[in-house]
Amino acid sequence: MAVAIAAARVWRLNRGLSQAALLLLRQPGARGLARSHPPRQQQQFSSLDDKPQFPGASAEFIDKLEFIQPNVISGIPIYRVMDRQGQIINPSEDPHLPKEKVLKLYKSMTLLNTMDRILYESQRQGRISFYMTNYGEEGTHVGSAAALDNTDLVFGQYREAGVLMYRDYPLELFMAQCYGNISDLGKGRQMPVHYGCKERHFVTISSPLATQIPQAVGAAYAAKRANANRVVICYFGEGAASEGDAHAGFNFAATLECPIIFFCRNNGYAISTPTSEQYRGDGIARGPGYGIMSIRVDGNDVFAVYNATKEARRRAVAENQPFLIEAMTYRIGHHSTSDDSSAYRSVDEVNYWDKQDHPISRLRHYLLSQGWWDEEQEKAWRKQSRRKVMEAFEQAERKPKPNPNLLFSDVYQEMPAQLRKQQESLARHLQTYGEHYPLDHFDK
Amino acid sequence: MNLFQSVTSALDNSLAKDPTAVIFGEDVAFGGVFRCTVGLRDKYGKDRVFNTPLCEQGIVGFGIGIAVTGATAIAEIQFADYIFPAFDQIVNEAAKYRYRSGDLFNCGSLTIRSPWGCVGHGALYHSQSPEAFFAHCPGIKVVIPRSPFQAKGLLLSCIEDKNPCIFFEPKILYRAAAEEVPIEPYNIPLSQAEVIQEGSDVTLVAWGTQVHVIREVASMAKEKLGVSCEVIDLRTIIPWDVDTICKSVIKTGRLLISHEAPLTGGFASEISSTVQEECFLNLEAPISRVCGYDTPFPHIFEPFYIPDKWKCYDALRKMINY
Repeated sequence: MAVAIAAARVWRLNRGLSQAALLLLRQPGARGLARSHPPRQQQQFSSLDDKPQFPGASAEFIDKLEFIQPNVISGIPIYRVMDRQGQIINPSEDPHLPKEKVLKLYKSMTLLNTMDRILYESQRQGRISFYMTNYGEEGTHVGSAAALDNTDLVFGQYREAGVLMYRDYPLELFMAQCYGNISDLGKGRQMPVHYGCKERHFVTISSPLATQIPQAVGAAYAAKRANANRVVICYFGEGAASEGDAHAGFNFAATLECPIIFFCRNNGYAISTPTSEQYRGDGIARGPGYGIMSIRVDGNDVFAVYNATKEARRRAVAENQPFLIEAMTYRIGHHSTSDDSSAYRSVDEVNYWDKQDHPISRLRHYLLSQGWWDEEQEKAWRKQSRRKVMEAFEQAERKPKPNPNLLFSDVYQEMPAQLRKQQESLARHLQTYGEHYPLDHFDK
Repeated sequence: MNLFQSVTSALDNSLAKDPTAVIFGEDVAFGGVFRCTVGLRDKYGKDRVFNTPLCEQGIVGFGIGIAVTGATAIAEIQFADYIFPAFDQIVNEAAKYRYRSGDLFNCGSLTIRSPWGCVGHGALYHSQSPEAFFAHCPGIKVVIPRSPFQAKGLLLSCIEDKNPCIFFEPKILYRAAAEEVPIEPYNIPLSQAEVIQEGSDVTLVAWGTQVHVIREVASMAKEKLGVSCEVIDLRTIIPWDVDTICKSVIKTGRLLISHEAPLTGGFASEISSTVQEECFLNLEAPISRVCGYDTPFPHIFEPFYIPDKWKCYDALRKMINY
C-alpha cells in the first residue's frame, strides 16, 4: 500500500495533479491497485476506464506505431460548376444568376482587363511608376465579390482590383491612385495599385504581405460583437500564406469564432517562386489543421467561386466561424511591371491558360450559350470599354499632383508641433530652392 | 491603489464607458500575469475580456483590425521583451494606417499595453525597455507612467487618443508604493512632460521607474553639493515635449538624461541631439546620458548594469565641475 501511495505521489507530481486527484487515487479501485470494477468518480477523472484525459486533444489511444502520411498523391478535390467551355456540368449546381448579374460579372472582368492593358502600357511609357495586372484571376475577384453584400468589409493583398471594379469603383479613381494625382483619395502617398475605398468597404492595400490577415480577423470579431450581420473577406496569395501572419490569422479566427472568409488566390507563383517551393502540403486548403471549414475551387470558374463564397458567407455569419476558400487559378501576367516572367516559366505554359482556361472566355461561352451575348455586342463593348478607359486615362494624366503640404498630414490625427516645424522648414526651403523641384506638376 | 490596480481601474472605466471596448492578449482572462485585468471578465463578459492564442503578431494584427472598424481595442503584450514579433504590424501597419490611406482608414482606437523595464531578476527577456525602437516610428505614440496616479490618467488618454498608442508599464512599480487614485476616470495629457520639481542648476530628465532615481539624485545633489535640480518626467516618448525640456535647459544650462535601455541609440540620444540644436549657446557643459550599457540585460549583474543613483550622481557632479 505504502509503495503504491509513494508511486502515486511521484506520478502525481509528474502529472501536476492536485491534492484532490491524489486522494481519489488512494481510494480503493485506483489505478495500479488490483480491482476489476473501479468506481466512477467525477467525469474528468474517469481515466479509471482507460480513455485519454489530456486537455490538449480529443482522440482515442492506439497501440500501433504509425506516422500519418500527408496526402500528397490526391489532394482536396477542386469544386467547379462549368467546364472549360463554359458548359454547366451539374445543373443542380448552376446558381441560375439573372442575366443582368452575369453581364455585370462579364463586364467587370473585361473592363478590368482593358484597364490593365492600358495601365501596364502606361508604365512602360514612363507615365506611371509601377503597375500590377490581374490577368487570369479576374474570375476570383468578381465571383467572390458578387456573392457578398456591398457592405461586407474587404481586406486584400494587391491583386484584387476586380472586387473594386465589381463594386463600381470609378475608372477615374483607379487612375487617380496610379497617377497619384489630386483626385486620389489616398492623397498620393502610395505606389500604384494600392487602392482603398471607405465608401465601398475596401480597406486600403498595403505592400507588406499577409499583414491584412490577422487584421481581417479582428474586424470580423468586431462585426460579430456589433451584431452587424456582416462578413469580412480576406484575400491573399498562396505565397503570402507562408507568412507567420497567415498562421496567426487562421488560428485566431478559429479560436475566437470569427465570421470571416479567408480567400486564397493560388495562382501558381509568388513572383518567380513556384508552388513546389512555397509549400509541401496539399496547397493552402489547410484549414482543417486549424479547425476551419475549407474548400478548394476552380478559381477560373466564376460560378464555382460564386457558389462557394455565397455559402461560406451565409454560414460564417450564421454560425460565427471562419471559412477558407482556396481558389485555384493562374497568374497569366508578370508579377508586376518590375518582373519579366519569361525568366522563370515557358511561354507555352502561359499560353495554355490564356487560351484554354480563362475565366473571361469561359463566362463568355456561357453567355453565348444562353443567348445573352453575341459577337456584335462583344465588339461594341470592347470599343466602349476601351474608350471609357482611355478617357479616364487622359484625364488622369492631365491632373496635377496634390499640394506638397499633404506630405505632412495624417501621420497622426492632429499634426504634432515638431512635424509642423518640419513642414515650415520645407516651405522655406522651397522658397529659395524651388526651381530644383517639380513644383509645376503639383497643386499650388 | 498600486500601479496594477490603477491600470485595472482605468480599464474598468474604459469598458464601462465604451461598449465597443475589448481587452485581449495572453492570459488576460483570469486576471493577467501581473493582475492588471483581475475581475474584468466577470464584470464585462467573455466576449469583451478574452485570451488569444500565444502570438504577438496575431494579437497586434487582430487589434488593428478591431480598431479599423472603429471599436476600441486594448491589447496586452505580456512582456515588452516579446513585442518584437509584432514590430511589423506596429511599425508597418498601425503607424501608417491613416497616412497611407489618405485618412480613409485608421486604427486610432488601438492601445497596446505591456510590462516594461527592469525588475531585479528579469535578465535578458523580462527587463527590456524597447521605447527607442518605437521612437523612430512616426504615427504611433509611446507613453510611460512613473506612478499609479500617472498610469491611470495616461492610460485613459492613450485609450481615448485617436492614434495607435503603446503604453509601457514599469513592472517593478506594479506593487510598489500605493497612492491616492480616483475611482472615476480622469485624463493626463499626452506629449506633455511634467516638471515634478523645480530647480535652477541642472535639468534631470527620465521616464518610468528612473524618475524616482533622478528625484533621489536631486536630493543627494542638494544635500552634498548644494545644487538645485529641475526634475522632469518626460511621460510621452513620441511625440515628445521638446518645449518643456528646452525651456528648462535654457534656464539651467545643464542636462542629464537617464534611462535603463542601452546607451547607443537610446532615446536620450534624440533628446540630447535636439537640445544641443535648440539650446547650444545656453549649455554650460556637455549633455550627460546615464544609461544601461550596450549589452543585453544581464541577470546576476543587474546591480552593476542599471544606471543607479550613484552613477547619476557622479555624472551630475562632473557636469557641475565642468
